[in-house]
Amino acid sequence: MSDVLTRSQVKVPGDARSKDDAIREAGRLLVDAGAVSPAYVDAMFEREKSVSTYMGNFLAIPHGTNEAKDTIGRSAISVVRYDAPVDWDGNEVRFAVGIAGVDNGHLEILGKIAIVFSDTDEVEKLLAAGSADELYDLLQAVNED
Amino acid sequence: MQKFGTFLSGMIMPNIAAFIAWGIITALFIEKGPFPVGGLGGFGENEAGAPNIGLVGPMIRFMLPLLIAAQGGRMVYGVRGAVVAVVATMGVIVSTDQPMFLGALIMAPLAAWVMKQIDKLWDGKIKPGFEMLVNNFSAGIVAAALAVVGFFAFGPVVEAVSRALGNGVDWLVDNGVLPIASILIEPAKVLFLNNAINHGVLTPLGVQQAAETGKSILFLLEANPGPGLGVLLAYMLFGTGMARSTAPGAAIIHFFGGIHEIYFPFVLMKPILLLGMIAGGMVGIGTLVVFDAGLRAPAAPGSIIAVLAQTPGDSFVGVILSVLLAAATSFAICSLLLKLDRKKGGDLGEATAEMEAMKGKRSSVAGYLSPTDEAQEDQLEAAGLAHPGTHAGARKPIHRIAFACDAGMGSSAMGASVLRNKIKKAGFTDVEVQNVAIANLTDDVDLVVTHQDLTPRARTMSPSAEHVSVDNFMNSPQYDGIVEELKTTNAQGSSSSR
Repeated sequence: MSDVLTRSQVKVPGDARSKDDAIREAGRLLVDAGAVSPAYVDAMFEREKSVSTYMGNFLAIPHGTNEAKDTIGRSAISVVRYDAPVDWDGNEVRFAVGIAGVDNGHLEILGKIAIVFSDTDEVEKLLAAGSADELYDLLQAVNED
Repeated sequence: MQKFGTFLSGMIMPNIAAFIAWGIITALFIEKGPFPVGGLGGFGENEAGAPNIGLVGPMIRFMLPLLIAAQGGRMVYGVRGAVVAVVATMGVIVSTDQPMFLGALIMAPLAAWVMKQIDKLWDGKIKPGFEMLVNNFSAGIVAAALAVVGFFAFGPVVEAVSRALGNGVDWLVDNGVLPIASILIEPAKVLFLNNAINHGVLTPLGVQQAAETGKSILFLLEANPGPGLGVLLAYMLFGTGMARSTAPGAAIIHFFGGIHEIYFPFVLMKPILLLGMIAGGMVGIGTLVVFDAGLRAPAAPGSIIAVLAQTPGDSFVGVILSVLLAAATSFAICSLLLKLDRKKGGDLGEATAEMEAMKGKRSSVAGYLSPTDEAQEDQLEAAGLAHPGTHAGARKPIHRIAFACDAGMGSSAMGASVLRNKIKKAGFTDVEVQNVAIANLTDDVDLVVTHQDLTPRARTMSPSAEHVSVDNFMNSPQYDGIVEELKTTNAQGSSSSR
């Protein structure tokens, strides 16, 4: 398991009640992990303006623009789960997965997250996870098989 | 042929705005326009006594062909292809005095393709650290060589074509079979040889005639704005996408501004429309012959205003009827051709986009059908589409699928993973699914999946690929549709269930 997703980058439950706060929260985790500079969070808002990052199945994946790749130090992702749905351009979001990717270092784990979230049974399990540790372990399990 | 047409329109369509910009500048600022400005229109002299270069000439000679070349090169081989294509096309452009659109349309994809083949020769064999050096110099050398080849190969050919067309028109005029001349004039026009025909052949003959009889029909053979108006009206009513929405503005610039060049790309995109143009031209000329109508002097530019200003009193009926009937004929035939084209469906994505346009809203299942939405299924079947599997009798196998999103790091990566997983589970091993930033999309993939908001842009980047729109990257019915389609297109795997 690489350091793309560490336990400290998983937060349950998230504090945000709005989309903008959720983007800030997911971005904050990436900044705190030392993966990106704070300017990357601005790029995340920039990116969100062009096309919504809502993916379906309660998942949104805020991330920066192509132009902001030089504000990324290393590939990392953050995962925040919300107890109450956050309104994301009219869609209900329970999971915000912040992404910072350079040189495709994040693709493997992102692909696994994608496959988990494309299966509604798996999403139910993630929603049912009782704590950040439990959620992290579930994601971890995917990463290891 | 279909693919050829899509490729042509992919080269031209993204540059329509530049044609319109040039059309506006030309219509307003040339010597005969409403606001003549020497520095912009390119006539007269500047303060130092040198002739004004203007915007009009350089834009049509260099800017527009080079824009098309860049787009054509990029479609074949990305930014690298675009750079080589532009350099090579420059050689073609300076080889003749005519605007070199034909050269750009041929040379640009060719140059990019040559570069691609040459790169393959030493792909993976370059010592690390020397890639930049080798890449830049190989592209530079190839581009320079192609520019020289273009200069010597294209110049004489285009001059010869232009001269042959001129001689043909000359001969037809001499022998009194004027309407037949449209068969040569209309294709020559859309290749931007209009001025060579009109000013090189027709105007000198017409001036002679007018000196003897006070008017000449020859001034209207090329300058009749009717056929062009007809094709633009046909696009307004029966076209699709951007071509449809741009056509009204283009019609105004063409008909009232007299800038015929504005409609040429619309014909080049679907060369079959030449049939309508030729028929329109013939009817227009025939009407003039029947009414013995003509103009006193050349109508320049060929706007309805300039035409009527040069019409002598006894020719008004004939000239006006000629313009109207020519427009009606080309409109009728082009409409029919556009409608037929639409029935055939082109690629699935295009037809689906039309469906959406017809319904006036975004459907939640843009590319493929969800089994629950029977009403929509009926509609699609009515449009001759049915299910993706049955649609494509001779569809080629799909080996490369590209997921494109804005940055190529998030949404497309996730979508690609989900689809890759589904395809793998279905047992196809010969399909590659990649995610890219939309700006890096090239035209060498078979199928492109994008968020519905980005699909129109993706279509201009990869015009010959099939396009599928999704609005949900995680769990799209479209993904199952693609897997279904693979069952029919890719021989491997189970045979079609339909």
